[in-house]
Amino acid sequence: MAATFFGEVVKTPCRAGAEDDDDEEEEERRREALEDREVRRQLARKREVRLLRRQTKTALEVSLLEKYPCSKFIIAIGNNAVAFLSSFVMNSGVWEEVGCAKLWNEWCRTMDAVHMCPTEAYCVFYHLKSNPSVFLCQCSCYVAEDQQYQWLEKVFGSCPKKNMQVTVLTCRHVTDYKTSESTGSLPSPFLRALKTQSFKDPACCSLLEQPNIVHDLPAAVLSYCQVWQIPAILYLCYTDVMKLDLLTAEAFKPVLSSRSLKGLAKDIAHSSETLKKLTTAHEVQSNIYT
Amino acid sequence: MASRYDRAITVFSPDGHLFQVEYAQEAVKKGSTVVGIRGTNIVVLGVEKKSVAKLQDERTVRKICALDDHVCMAFAGLTADARVIINRAQVECQSHKLTVEDSVTIEYITRFIATLKQKYTQSNGRRPFGISALIVGFDDDGIPRLYQTDPSGTYHAWKANAIGRSAKTVREFLEKNYSEDAVSNDSEAIKLAIRALLEVVQSGGKNIELAIIRRNQPLKAFTNPSLCGYLEVLRSLHRPIFSDFAIRRNT
Repeated sequence: MAATFFGEVVKTPCRAGAEDDDDEEEEERRREALEDREVRRQLARKREVRLLRRQTKTALEVSLLEKYPCSKFIIAIGNNAVAFLSSFVMNSGVWEEVGCAKLWNEWCRTMDAVHMCPTEAYCVFYHLKSNPSVFLCQCSCYVAEDQQYQWLEKVFGSCPKKNMQVTVLTCRHVTDYKTSESTGSLPSPFLRALKTQSFKDPACCSLLEQPNIVHDLPAAVLSYCQVWQIPAILYLCYTDVMKLDLLTAEAFKPVLSSRSLKGLAKDIAHSSETLKKLTTAHEVQSNIYT
Repeated sequence: MASRYDRAITVFSPDGHLFQVEYAQEAVKKGSTVVGIRGTNIVVLGVEKKSVAKLQDERTVRKICALDDHVCMAFAGLTADARVIINRAQVECQSHKLTVEDSVTIEYITRFIATLKQKYTQSNGRRPFGISALIVGFDDDGIPRLYQTDPSGTYHAWKANAIGRSAKTVREFLEKNYSEDAVSNDSEAIKLAIRALLEVVQSGGKNIELAIIRRNQPLKAFTNPSLCGYLEVLRSLHRPIFSDFAIRRNT
């Protein structure tokens, strides 16, 4: 042992070789590693994506699309895409909730008032009662990078069928759109599409130009579909308002003429009114901008 | 590259951008739409009113403000920044009147506001103002003026312009529909402003506010009931024009 200038007593390293004290150190290192491992295990458990049955809220043993065969899968990611599908598609038919994906990450900022802990986020899955092979997913939460693969495994499974068509709707801020024009001159909101190689139908809007890229869960879904040769298309709405907004949600309207959504939206006028009410109801009163 | 040069206002990027100024332009787009039209004998400002909270006093949420008896301004962007600029401009208008015994010209007060904004793009420790403004009025020579300023401190005169959310759509509409003949009549200039706003205001006429200045007359604000007459006329006469433009815009 040695004393430093500041009065600390520190253990001096011994160059003579291993001492009896090394066993204690080794024990301490093992204990710390065990604790670290335990913390990491708990964190991993907390960040696990769980797929739950609707009625019983018990976990599904197999992936969602293994349990429920699907020919059309429409995924809405983000509040504007979710509002659009809720107003135009879900309002036009009878949809039944079949399950939900429950997850937690640091982006889940809302707190559970009763238990004083961050609430978990949900992605909810529905199928059309009149045609149960048509699936819809509404995902308003953020799925973190480490959770995306779990989400895909739990939803699509490890060996998905190729005879379905996937359509993804999402939004991105217009400042992420790389172009030689100034963002002020862009007619936002506007749509761009990105599709997998096996998707043969025409897109309802221009394709996404290079060097723009897609991020987060939509990118994960598209990559997954590309690898498994599933026909999939992503409709990306670039907007200058990321919160729930009527103009942005309505920018998805051209997608209603696509093969996936054709026939699913019936009363457009009534749906537009529903969307207006939805956006007004959720309008956060902010006085920062006028 | 942007992330290395966008933190300090006084730093240019290698390709000549002042990112903080450009980001301030994005703040302007978060404000609701404002349209300004310069007629032959009238200047019109139309704004999309944002919805007010239930318990909030509507009179305290204003986008159109008078800077003097003969000049008024509408803004889009950060509310607090607008308040500061409006206060300074109002004081400058009175100070000018007391000093030289003449009212400010529209160009003078616009240049004052633009100079103030430019100063804030060149000082460290301060960020640019996050507002664009449309300033309208009549000079003593009886000529109507419409100017626009933006966060960079530039200002230009316009015949008609729009700022704020969906400004590009409104500007395209104005480019197609504005003509000197169309605005020679006061009523037609007002209708043009309303039609331009209705291109982007989803909830119809109830969220529109107008202000006009006629030659040798004070500022007049239109409340919603006053607008109803114009809206009814527009609905009965101009419905095909609305639908046609809306269809062309969405394709």
